[in-house]
Amino acid sequence: MDTAIDIVLKFVAISVAFVVVLLVVAYTVLAERRVLGFIQGRLGPNRVGYGGILQPFADLLKFILKEDIVPDKSTRFIYFLAPVIATMAALMTMIVYPFGPDIRIPFTSITIPLTIARLDIGLLYVLGITSIGVYGIMLAGWSSNNKYSLMGGLRSSAQMISYELALGLSLIGAILLAGTLDLGQVVEQQSGWHGLRWLIFFQPLGFIIYMISAIAETNRVPFDLPEAETELVAGFHTEYSAMKFALFFLAEYINMFTVAMLATTLFLGGWNMPFAESLFGRGTFLFGLVSALGFLLKVVLILFLYIWLRGTLPRFRFDQLMNFGWKILLPLALLNIFLTATAIFLFPNFF
Amino acid sequence: MLVLLFILFGGLAIGCALAVVAQRNPLYSAISLVGVFISLACLYVMLAAPFIAAVQVIVYAGAIMVLVVFVIMLLNVEEEERGRGRLKFLVPTAIALAAILIAEVAFILVTVQEFRVSPATGVGLTHSIGSQLFTRYLLPFEITSILLLMAIVGAMTLARRGGLLSPNARVIPGVTTLPRSLVDPKAAPDDLRAVEADSTGGAARLLGLTDLRSQAKREES
Repeated sequence: MDTAIDIVLKFVAISVAFVVVLLVVAYTVLAERRVLGFIQGRLGPNRVGYGGILQPFADLLKFILKEDIVPDKSTRFIYFLAPVIATMAALMTMIVYPFGPDIRIPFTSITIPLTIARLDIGLLYVLGITSIGVYGIMLAGWSSNNKYSLMGGLRSSAQMISYELALGLSLIGAILLAGTLDLGQVVEQQSGWHGLRWLIFFQPLGFIIYMISAIAETNRVPFDLPEAETELVAGFHTEYSAMKFALFFLAEYINMFTVAMLATTLFLGGWNMPFAESLFGRGTFLFGLVSALGFLLKVVLILFLYIWLRGTLPRFRFDQLMNFGWKILLPLALLNIFLTATAIFLFPNFF
Repeated sequence: MLVLLFILFGGLAIGCALAVVAQRNPLYSAISLVGVFISLACLYVMLAAPFIAAVQVIVYAGAIMVLVVFVIMLLNVEEEERGRGRLKFLVPTAIALAAILIAEVAFILVTVQEFRVSPATGVGLTHSIGSQLFTRYLLPFEITSILLLMAIVGAMTLARRGGLLSPNARVIPGVTTLPRSLVDPKAAPDDLRAVEADSTGGAARLLGLTDLRSQAKREES
């Protein structure tokens, strides 16, 4: 009986997390359009609701009501499967992130952990699921039976394989310092120095490499070659319309969100806010609230950085992209591991 | 609960494995193989070995199969035609081998009466695998890495042998198509040497080959 209740509770927790994440993602899209508009000296969508606040829902309605066009010569089953894989892989990583500390509901003794699942292999789980996500894009490109789609799919698989290496290696330095793959424990360890003992201060190089390769992993500007409009129409999702296109769109933004959460968790101290513990005391409701909001704030700041980059940088050429990944980022990541390991060996008590 | 999950993932693994063999389209086979790997990873998780499950997904499903699918897409392999005469002897061989495998499983199921379940010792966790790998099994671990290094060097050598050009020669794809007799290592002269040039044509001149493009045209005609 207890297991049944447990399973129901987990389902509730997963649903709540998904709803929150999807809402944040929806407003990231709106924020992106408004911020890009500001950068480019125009308004952006500001008509639906006050200041465009209902725009995401209007967009959703449009996506649902549009005609769903399926190309005649496409490989049907895979054509339908691809957006599902992309979205599912993007959403599945959500369950391991510690969104906040254990939070105690006021006037009761019930505490709720703000993590859905604490896995011993949390980080490896994230990397594994992310590496499944590339199939969505590849299969979409292949099954559409369109040369632009195919080129987009091929580019994206080449790009994601290349940058996955740099991404994984850049995290090893942080993992060496933390000594665990459990994301919850990694965050706990960064709570020293009044909540400011963040790993970014020990791993600046690792953080920069991670941020660059994370942008490439999520196919964002300046690495958005899989859907380079000027060369490939719309890349891998040229032939997708209506809700299936929306799923790819959603997957891209969820992926942005997850890499931002991973950066926050590993490098920016997770839910640790400076001086929150000494102000409110550990285990109180306010502490939990402030910490969870702090986590969200850091994630939103990284998302803003993404949008800013999109408004600022031009696109790479494909050979530049490959050279940059293999000849600059990968050796730098290896150097970072080497330096971190040496430092830990020389000063084992400092970390 | 566990039995139900085992039946689910075991059945999925067997179904996907059958699909790998039965599908005519190589891409479908590859995707089915990904399914096999993922269901195996789920079984590992149920055996309290999450680390191995994660590595299974990252290495096999996430890296190796992506490369396989990439190659299939790049070469645009057509569906295999039914009933080719070639390699006919493989069918009886496969049936015989499968029969032996099933007989082995049946033998184990019949002879082993008592299934002993060892208590959970944390064998599959990150910490235990890491400490064992770097203490007790260090030599096999290092030998495996040397094996992988050899494979990389071998692949590089095979890829380099075809090209007559030095690593510094910049070849712009699509500008010049090399005729097969030139990139074929057997067709290369014995005193193969590296040259440095800025273009394919320059490299060809340094190597004493006539203009590659005219040679390619001659090959075609």
